[in-house]
Amino acid sequence: MKARDIFSYSFSAIKLRKLRAGLTTLGVVIGIAAIVALLSITQGLQNTITNQLETGLATDTLIVTAGRSVFSQGGAGIGGGFGGGGDSGFTLLINDTDTINGLSRDIEGSVAVLQRAVYFNNSERSFLINVAGVDFAEYEAIYGGNTFVAESGTISTNPANDEVIIGNTLHDPWSNGTLLYNVGDNVDIVWTNATARPPKNETYTGTISAILQEIGGFSFGGPSDTGVYIPIAQAQSFFATDACNQIIVKLANSDQATIDHVTELITNAFDGEVSVISSTAVLNIIGSVFSVIQLFLVGIAAISLLVAGIGIMNIMIVSLIERTREIGILKALGMKSRTVLLIFLGESVIIGLIGAVVGIGLGWGLANLVAVLFSGGGLFAGVGGGQAAGVGTAGLNIVPVLTPTVVLGALGFGIGVSVIFALYPAWRASKLKPVEALRYE
Amino acid sequence: MALIVEAVDLKKTYMLGKVPVEALRGVNLKVESGDFLAILGPSGSGKSTMLNLIGALDKPTSGTLLIDGVNISTLNDNQLSDLRRRVGFVFQFFNLIPRLNATDNVELSLSIAGVGKAERRKRAEELLETVGLKDRVKHKPAELSGGQQQRVAIARALANNPRFLLLDEPTGNIDSKTAREILRLVKKLNMEQGVTIIMVTHDQQLAKEAKRTVHMIDGVITSDVVN
Repeated sequence: MKARDIFSYSFSAIKLRKLRAGLTTLGVVIGIAAIVALLSITQGLQNTITNQLETGLATDTLIVTAGRSVFSQGGAGIGGGFGGGGDSGFTLLINDTDTINGLSRDIEGSVAVLQRAVYFNNSERSFLINVAGVDFAEYEAIYGGNTFVAESGTISTNPANDEVIIGNTLHDPWSNGTLLYNVGDNVDIVWTNATARPPKNETYTGTISAILQEIGGFSFGGPSDTGVYIPIAQAQSFFATDACNQIIVKLANSDQATIDHVTELITNAFDGEVSVISSTAVLNIIGSVFSVIQLFLVGIAAISLLVAGIGIMNIMIVSLIERTREIGILKALGMKSRTVLLIFLGESVIIGLIGAVVGIGLGWGLANLVAVLFSGGGLFAGVGGGQAAGVGTAGLNIVPVLTPTVVLGALGFGIGVSVIFALYPAWRASKLKPVEALRYE
Repeated sequence: MALIVEAVDLKKTYMLGKVPVEALRGVNLKVESGDFLAILGPSGSGKSTMLNLIGALDKPTSGTLLIDGVNISTLNDNQLSDLRRRVGFVFQFFNLIPRLNATDNVELSLSIAGVGKAERRKRAEELLETVGLKDRVKHKPAELSGGQQQRVAIARALANNPRFLLLDEPTGNIDSKTAREILRLVKKLNMEQGVTIIMVTHDQQLAKEAKRTVHMIDGVITSDVVN
């Protein structure tokens, strides 16, 4: 019997029981839709987060912090780690940049960041916010081409002590023209010195000299929309410390070899008391975290497909019993056992194929629906509201991703599950003896 | 005349629950090409078992059965399937596929034999015309009378130019007037087209219409007469 005729015979059998076939197919549709929706939405989310991080930090920078690395040293894989690690009393000093700069020709420069939480006051408002003391010239050398760029005002390479640079969110937090701070505004910066006895508030008045362009991403180490930057010398004297929170190192290139090499040099230079995090390592960690989440979610979705498979098996066995006589007729007409097997498998292939195609469409639709709910001012928009210092700015803009691999995989999986669960009923059908099958009422 | 069927000491025992039933107890039979044979006998005489064996639907327990010179005991599952395509089986209960119309039912046995679509259609229409159902080709079995269904079944059985036609109680489920028509058709096929016919029946009148009548009782042939 020709393959086309086998297939059309299978199809005619399915058409006869539309409701039953429809419900069986629905099982596959739900399973595949769940898998496709979860895969494309998590892939989209990962892309969004990765992109936002990539705008926040250049891939050719390393971040050095005090404390032994929790995980293995080195940039690749899970290396670097979000350390902080054990407290050995080691502190990273602002002038450690000199040590770092001298380590390798692959290091183009470095900048120390001294960060403290302060109140940011004017006559109308008071915010608790993180202020970062940095060398404006060095900082601009690292991030100038990308994120540390003035929208208004100027970033001075030799700033006066009272100069303050603010991120765009502090200037225009609601993106509606209601401006919070402008160039030339004076702000009182209040820091509570908790080591003094009794603790006391230190205050100095700064003047906003520049507002950064909107960066639009999460920040990791680099400038951010909610950042406040003051000259390092001012920070050093105001916060009365020579220590810094982190040192950002600019590399000559973003090759993995360079990253690994410099990471090792820096770690050794401080006798292992620092952890060095590269942005690629961070991206790798995020990537592997997402892979695990994806695998987990898809695993759950796959269970529903398994249930669908059992449904197929169930319905095929019912169909086999109902059609015992028909199988007897087919065999009496000279149909080979193998052909009977193929007819039954053909039915499951049709169910699997239709289920997978509809499921992929439905899953893709679902993913887009979820994406719209997430980004369209829905869930995350309000977070940044009252206190402009929050993380939320424009909400997560998730664009679901449907790769050809996912489409082909879903098709294969849908058809595969259908066929596997149809194997037993099909085999039983093919083994029926014609005389007995014909006698069946 | 070529020998189409040759049974030598054919025995068939099957299990009815745990009780062995000797359906055939040593049957010897020869059928030549162009013959019109009626196997007559009461129910339980083994005539249906005989028919199943000749139709290659089942294998004998012992003895030899040559169909077209081939010993069916030596055939495997696939070879038996191939042999069945050269046998035209017409069942008492018609056994048409309910969801297929008359043409598609006839085409089915051609499609099983691997005949292409266009040729299949042409041949099916010719056959339905031969059995007098030219105006019923698009009707499904449920829309046809018993006699019409039986004609479709005969057309289907003839589709692959079988070596012989096997009829199992062909008039058992239709009224006597229609039965006469069916018989007339069968005789015509035998006389005009030389189709070999083996017909099982318990109807004496019907059996008389055949060229030769074989009586079976309790799994053996008791008489074999030329009418």
